[in-house]
Amino acid sequence: MAKGCDIRARCQSIGWPRDYGSTEVSRPAGGTSRQFVDRAVGKLLFCAALAAIVAVFFIIVFLLRDGYQIVLETGLWNFLTGMNWNPTGQNPSYGVFPLITGTLLVMALAMVIAVPLSIGSAVFIAEIASPGMKSIIKPAIELLAGIPSVVYGFFGLILLTDWIRVVFDQPSGSSWLAGSILLAIMAIPTITSVAEDAISSVPREFKEGSLALGATHWQTIRRVIVPGALSGISAAIILGMGRAIGETMAVLMVTGNAAIIPDPITNVFSPVRTLTGTLGIEMGEVAFGSTHYHALFGVAVVLLFITLAINSVARVIITRIQGTQGTARSAPSGRVVTAIRGFVPYRALTAAASRITHATSAPFGRLLPPRVSQRCAFLLISLSVAIVIAALGVILFEIVVNGAGAISWEFLTGSPRDLGRAGGIFPAIVGTFYLVGGALAVALPLGIATAIYLIEYTADTPLTRSIRAAVDLLNGTPSIVFGLFGFAFLVLFMGFGVSLIAGQITLGLMILPTIIRTTEEALRSIPGSLREGSYALGATKWQTIWRVVLPPALPGILTGAILSIGRAAGETAPIMFTAAIFSSRFLPSSLTEPVMALPYHLFVLTTTVPGAATQSYGTAFVLLMLVLTIYLAAILVRRRYSQATVM
Amino acid sequence: MTTVAVTGILVVLLMVAGCVGEQSSNSSTSPSQQITVIGSTTVLPIAEQAREAFEARDASADIMVSGGGSGAGVKSAGEGTADIGMSSRDLKSTETTSYPDLVKHHIADDAILLVVNPANSVESLTLDEVRGIYNGTYTNWNQVGGSDRQIVVVGRDSASGTREFFSEFVMDGEDFIRTQEEFNSNGGIQQKVSQTPGALGYVGLGYTDGVKPLALNVNGADVEPTLKNITDGTYPISRPLYMLTNGEPEGLAQRYLEFIMSAEGQEIVASEDYIPLRG
Amino acid sequence: MNESTILETTDLNLWYGQKHALIDISLQVPKNKVTALIGPSGCGKSTLLRCFNRMNDLIDSSRITGEILFNGNDIHDPRADVYAIREKIGMVFQKPNPFPKSIYENAAYGSRIHGVSDRKELDRIVEESLKEAALWDEVKDRLHEPALSLSGGQQQRLCIARSLAVGPEVILMDEPCSALDPIATAKIEDLIIRLAQDYTVVIVTHNMQQAARASNYTGFMYLGRLVEFDKTTKIFEDPGEELTENYITGRFG
Repeated sequence: MAKGCDIRARCQSIGWPRDYGSTEVSRPAGGTSRQFVDRAVGKLLFCAALAAIVAVFFIIVFLLRDGYQIVLETGLWNFLTGMNWNPTGQNPSYGVFPLITGTLLVMALAMVIAVPLSIGSAVFIAEIASPGMKSIIKPAIELLAGIPSVVYGFFGLILLTDWIRVVFDQPSGSSWLAGSILLAIMAIPTITSVAEDAISSVPREFKEGSLALGATHWQTIRRVIVPGALSGISAAIILGMGRAIGETMAVLMVTGNAAIIPDPITNVFSPVRTLTGTLGIEMGEVAFGSTHYHALFGVAVVLLFITLAINSVARVIITRIQGTQGTARSAPSGRVVTAIRGFVPYRALTAAASRITHATSAPFGRLLPPRVSQRCAFLLISLSVAIVIAALGVILFEIVVNGAGAISWEFLTGSPRDLGRAGGIFPAIVGTFYLVGGALAVALPLGIATAIYLIEYTADTPLTRSIRAAVDLLNGTPSIVFGLFGFAFLVLFMGFGVSLIAGQITLGLMILPTIIRTTEEALRSIPGSLREGSYALGATKWQTIWRVVLPPALPGILTGAILSIGRAAGETAPIMFTAAIFSSRFLPSSLTEPVMALPYHLFVLTTTVPGAATQSYGTAFVLLMLVLTIYLAAILVRRRYSQATVM
Repeated sequence: MTTVAVTGILVVLLMVAGCVGEQSSNSSTSPSQQITVIGSTTVLPIAEQAREAFEARDASADIMVSGGGSGAGVKSAGEGTADIGMSSRDLKSTETTSYPDLVKHHIADDAILLVVNPANSVESLTLDEVRGIYNGTYTNWNQVGGSDRQIVVVGRDSASGTREFFSEFVMDGEDFIRTQEEFNSNGGIQQKVSQTPGALGYVGLGYTDGVKPLALNVNGADVEPTLKNITDGTYPISRPLYMLTNGEPEGLAQRYLEFIMSAEGQEIVASEDYIPLRG
Repeated sequence: MNESTILETTDLNLWYGQKHALIDISLQVPKNKVTALIGPSGCGKSTLLRCFNRMNDLIDSSRITGEILFNGNDIHDPRADVYAIREKIGMVFQKPNPFPKSIYENAAYGSRIHGVSDRKELDRIVEESLKEAALWDEVKDRLHEPALSLSGGQQQRLCIARSLAVGPEVILMDEPCSALDPIATAKIEDLIIRLAQDYTVVIVTHNMQQAARASNYTGFMYLGRLVEFDKTTKIFEDPGEELTENYITGRFG
């Protein structure tokens, strides 16, 4: 067998056997070196794909390991339904029911605010805006996604809560409403851009078919386009919910964090406390190994399960919607289905569409003449865009106006002095780059390999289903939970201590699902006919992937990577317990040393250092510019390549 | 061609990531000795300012200061992942059992001030009144001598050492009213109280910008929270701050701790609005 | 006839999941001739074509019984190298599918994956295969432009050149002209006839005139069975089966 390999390899290296007469097509069982590489790569990719499962497994094990004791101590039922969270009282009590309620309430109201605004914006961008307008508004809304959550929190703490207190004449502005508004602003870009994609991908023919029947543009949007994009829109909403439920830093700065259920339950001005907020607030101070410590890990487990539940419900809903529309997205079995999929969508569309529109029965359906109702609808839609853009404007304005003044050469290149009130933030800028670079080094190879394995190597098997489920779960895992895991596993169990490498791995795990998802999408968009063309020439699987599939998929993969850079650069919660320090004189010289990082620096400056408002704004400004630059790069890459690949 | 470009880009990306990951800063000369100081954000300003002063005179020292909380400080010092831990509370029984070798160094005291919004007409409260507000007996400022305005009770999070001390000293162990708004830092409370007319909160001595500290009415006389009153114990609400080492400190850690205890170090303590050790 | 048979199937059956797509196909494809497979949509002719170079391997639910011999060797032999088989049995698809690379890189692709890296050798292969596919004169000045900038007919000839470049013995064509206009179609038909001097061509087509014009042998398939296989002239002038006659006279299908 070894001999067979050798001979074959030599033949190939000598030159192309164009004129070899033999028609020998059977080879020794070991195969050629090409096949050996192919098989080895396949195994390697498989191992990478398993990594996602392993990561999820470790996260769950380590959370359970520290969390199950609270259940032993209080009983599962008491823990889940206890009405009182008071871990340091005379009689400590560990009831998470108010926290669960708080989490769900904040998320629900955030969705009530975000969904109409987002869908309005999506419809506006996809259907109403002129091309010039679209080219401004779309990136602007996407930029909202790039604003780090600690910057949102900063903004919320200083402006939003006060605004709520004054406008609604409440004694205090820290409230359920404040948390929901902030989360809504954070979820809007996600929902808008995914929903816009869905709306834009509804085939033109549907729209033309409807307009040709004399329907107004609005009637067409309402009865044909939006129903046709329904599954994409639902996916958008769920992604937005995921973002909202996992958010920590912004929420804990504005909700007041009182562990109560609003009384009455509709009192949006009541302070509430979320599961994530509880973790973010209490984790650092708690005595390790105490009941309180275990209770916090119990909270993390509950949080994980809620995320999981929401994901599963969402999945069922999307599958059902796709079922009514006759698209079999979730169960592709082999290339044939992929090929067929293109031809049979939306057969049941009209039926489903009319049913849905009747159910949702729009406010101005039959009451007003079509042209008037169109005008009303477009007005409302434009209004929602205006609100979103205004929100972006206010936040940017506040930070730029107050932060630009702090920028100086020393601020950008010096080390902090006097608790960050003087000096600069250079080590934090560099530390952020180190963290992000390391996270990419972890997540990029692993994520791309996993995606390739999922798309190119397997059909729908139980194994791929569990890999996908694991990726979904990772994707829905709140960043603070990654932080806890990094702390329990990397910092303590592995003995890395608070270090650069612990932060890099934690952030790497956090962005892994984003990279896998975007790479999967990019690979899926490569037509199967190209793969067949390559196979038909005798290429192995790996040759086909490497030479034919990956090159055109690269822009998509790059966009995903860049977006996750933005996310990693702006996150505070995962590095708070794993990698970040407040100050250091030197840059880290090894992976085992901790680093400064911009988001953490901003968090400490705003919450702990009195008299550092200018530097806070300055740091927020630099962080914002950094992340926005990265997002802008992503938007440009995408725009360039989307023009280039139009055939 | 495209393949080359693709490969190139991927390789460069990976290399950049790898280099940054592996990295190494050759920009600075490697320090002769290095310690990490981790823990309570309350103690952090002292540690940080002391670091700056200490490093100014000892160029080879590399001291890294990080927050994270008292719990993280105790744990890190006990596990040896940090050379010095910082704590704004005494050790818990679980902690003394796990880390019997921890040595506490009392480095300063921290006064806790009751603060209200500058618009509030109330100037002082008795300890009983404070407890009454925090346990929910009083809900309106007119019950304690102010104008008709609902009290917004603001406090620290339940894991905080500050809150624990407050709970023992002021509350006698009674539970806080459950609608209390909780923040995880002095700065958060300061920000909240400064923009909320009805708020009452408690912060360290350094966090009084934009808020009004209340005098404490002790036996019928108002005691202002001045440095003098706090230092001589007339103003009663203050607590010790600790640095922790696993065993007796050595080398740089020892010199750093000695510096903080020195006259110069205690001046730094005072300049950051903490209470220097007496005598 | 046995002497010059290059591909031979015996009792070939194929299932896609539950669907029995090919039923008891026994067929001998003569060497250096053009063989056309005709029949109504869904009759299994494309499926049969994809059996010859084992492209059906890529469809997970497919299951196959019976034997396919290529030059007397069983292509499903566990020792057979599927990649070598596809080198020797090339394929051109219904819709032109050039890679999103330059014209040159498309033609060189197969040689590159089979280990040729010498620039001169590649240049030679590219030129020769483009000439063979009657495309050289049209593209020789713009070899490094994107293949997607070519017209549909040119793209399809590029795909043919691409498969010629790896030195096949058989070229399978799956309705290669169905996406092309009449002029481009005529060019490809000419090419097919010329290719038969050096290669064996098996072509699936919907277009009966095309089968009549360009092929030496024709097989008529219906509902997964090979109804009739004979010289093209015989099939079109004097079909042995009534079904075949009905189809070619347009009475159904």
